[in-house]
Amino acid sequence: MPGVPLDATAMTRRATQELFPGAVVALGMGLPCHIPSEVPAAGVWFIADSGLLGNDGINANADTLDAGGNPVATGFGGSFTGVVDVAGILRGGHTDIAVLQPSQVASNGDFVHWTTEETPGLLATGSAVDMAYGASKVVALMPNRHSVGRSNIVKECNLPVDGVGKVNLIITTEAVIKVNRDGLELMETAPGWTADEVVGITDAPLSISPDLKEMTFQVPKLAAPNKVFPDAMEALKDVPEGATVNVDGFAGPGGMAHYLMTGLRNLGVKGLHLISNTAGVARVSAFGTPNIIDHSILVENNQVAKATASYPVSPSASRPSAFEDAFNRGEAELEVVPQGTLAERLRSGGAGVAAFYTPTGAGTLLADGKETRNIGGREYILEMGMRADFCIIRGYKADTLGNVVYKGTSRNFNPVMATTARTTVVEVDEIVEPGQLGPEEIVTPGLFIDRIVLRPRDFSAYL
Amino acid sequence: MINHPENTAAKGKVYSTAQSALGGIADGASVLIAGFAGLGAPQSLLRGLAATGVSELTLICQGAWLPQAGTFGIDDLVAAGQVKKMISPMPFHPESGGAVKELWELGKLELEVVPQGILAERMRAGGAGIGGVFLPTGAGTRFAEGRELRIFDGKEHVLEFALNADFALLRAKEADTLGNLVYEGTGRNWNPTMAMAAAVTVAEVDQVKDPGGINPELVITQAIFIDRLVLAA
Repeated sequence: MPGVPLDATAMTRRATQELFPGAVVALGMGLPCHIPSEVPAAGVWFIADSGLLGNDGINANADTLDAGGNPVATGFGGSFTGVVDVAGILRGGHTDIAVLQPSQVASNGDFVHWTTEETPGLLATGSAVDMAYGASKVVALMPNRHSVGRSNIVKECNLPVDGVGKVNLIITTEAVIKVNRDGLELMETAPGWTADEVVGITDAPLSISPDLKEMTFQVPKLAAPNKVFPDAMEALKDVPEGATVNVDGFAGPGGMAHYLMTGLRNLGVKGLHLISNTAGVARVSAFGTPNIIDHSILVENNQVAKATASYPVSPSASRPSAFEDAFNRGEAELEVVPQGTLAERLRSGGAGVAAFYTPTGAGTLLADGKETRNIGGREYILEMGMRADFCIIRGYKADTLGNVVYKGTSRNFNPVMATTARTTVVEVDEIVEPGQLGPEEIVTPGLFIDRIVLRPRDFSAYL
Repeated sequence: MINHPENTAAKGKVYSTAQSALGGIADGASVLIAGFAGLGAPQSLLRGLAATGVSELTLICQGAWLPQAGTFGIDDLVAAGQVKKMISPMPFHPESGGAVKELWELGKLELEVVPQGILAERMRAGGAGIGGVFLPTGAGTRFAEGRELRIFDGKEHVLEFALNADFALLRAKEADTLGNLVYEGTGRNWNPTMAMAAAVTVAEVDQVKDPGGINPELVITQAIFIDRLVLAA
């Protein structure tokens, strides 16, 4: 006599064991929406495609909704965003884990989201396509048996799929099953169930793991990882030679990560490719004070091999910037990209858009060598998304989870650049505790920020 | 090109009724409607749209969730027979059905299911002047059928074209008379993207303030995208 199927709480608790501190976790509708209520600490980022970053569990009194339309609390450090930015987070590879409730999973990891033979109109994809595409690991949290008695874990899906080969792990009402290249492997069984009983209720063939064990339901303690670094050099010490680095800022001193720039200079790492609006014009353009820190400190230290910028020259021909001099000496390469195209290429890189057709630049020198296409009677050029290894940005305040707010136009390239790099480091005037920045106020959510340093008040020691 | 009807309200973009704020909408219009699971949906404007009597509408939205008693939602508009087609990631909740499901099953409503991220990205492209985007999502599934495919970085991508509409109906918490908007919680959802993608954008809000009444760091949708405002009834 087999055991009883697990309830939603037990399944959800088993699913929490897949989480790790600091993980960015996208939750689909249905059973996954229960997970935040089971995890006590705010050590993970729960993302809902409704636009919520930082779900802290179901709370009937809240006016914020999760993916399933349930009212939920927003955790300390949580924030809100629009669905297009959620899509960018999902598709752009910024999530570690997606937990979905498919209506079918096949032996090869294909899945169908919520559509069943009773609603054959293929109607319930929602964000499942995006969630499954971008996450490093996809967990299916689902009952093994459909209400009418057949198995939801099948050899091949008989309904059109929402993801091809995407599911990595299946947590069911009776078992935990791993999706391997050569099929499904039974890893754990629920209390009261034998491997043979699980095999018996599952349509897809299951191999039995030599390490088969009984499911457990402890919820892990998840503390947020520390992102605050003691100084700029420590926060940048693993920037490798030849790295591509996004450097924020507009033209003048505002919104530029001066302290991190000095850290990069002091580390002396060579061959850098800087992506930035300018290639360092603050020093020569009479903005700000003398001895101002800009890209020039890296150029003069022979660290810059290439710049990609919209405004690489000094506004004054008689006062060339350090980069212009280096370029004219043949020591540095230059790629000029108009500002809007530069911003869009960065946004695309961060949001998982490989390439896009833009009308700006068509018919000019900037279109040379690029694919053109007529769309609706207008000429467009194909531009590619762009990513970087590192990104250094300047915020006004950050909380220790990495949520950032800016001040005035110093916002400029910061929010978009923050989405495009493998490692993003922010310098801020003030570091505060989670909850001290309002959820409606946060511009760059902490899931994009890896490291935080406090900007010194006085730069005399760094010139 | 849609001419804005004469606005007799005292202040700039603020219209006195939802129906007057929808002036110029015609049969066959394409309409973006914000909201996620009912939150952030412009109920007064939906009632106003029903009152205009326009038909053959194409609605582009998250989907129709069953409205609670006393509320008015997309499902009610569909039930009134004014909608020809819906483009949506989840046209109705699979467990609750409603008028959308019924009319679709009777062949009286056309549904086009587009994954949420693809739909949002197409709208963003439309609003930002991008002609088309190559997306990796949907490759290998029915969502790529009939579309141009191309390999980038060894992975298949699907060409999706920009999407624009005639009207966008938004729901925000506060506006100033210029049309700057702030939202509350996940009520933000589709609003900022839809605001950019339509010829005429109408926002329903709880409160209209004078310019300067909203902190400039907190504005989410800038006034340049907003044509008309109406107070939520």
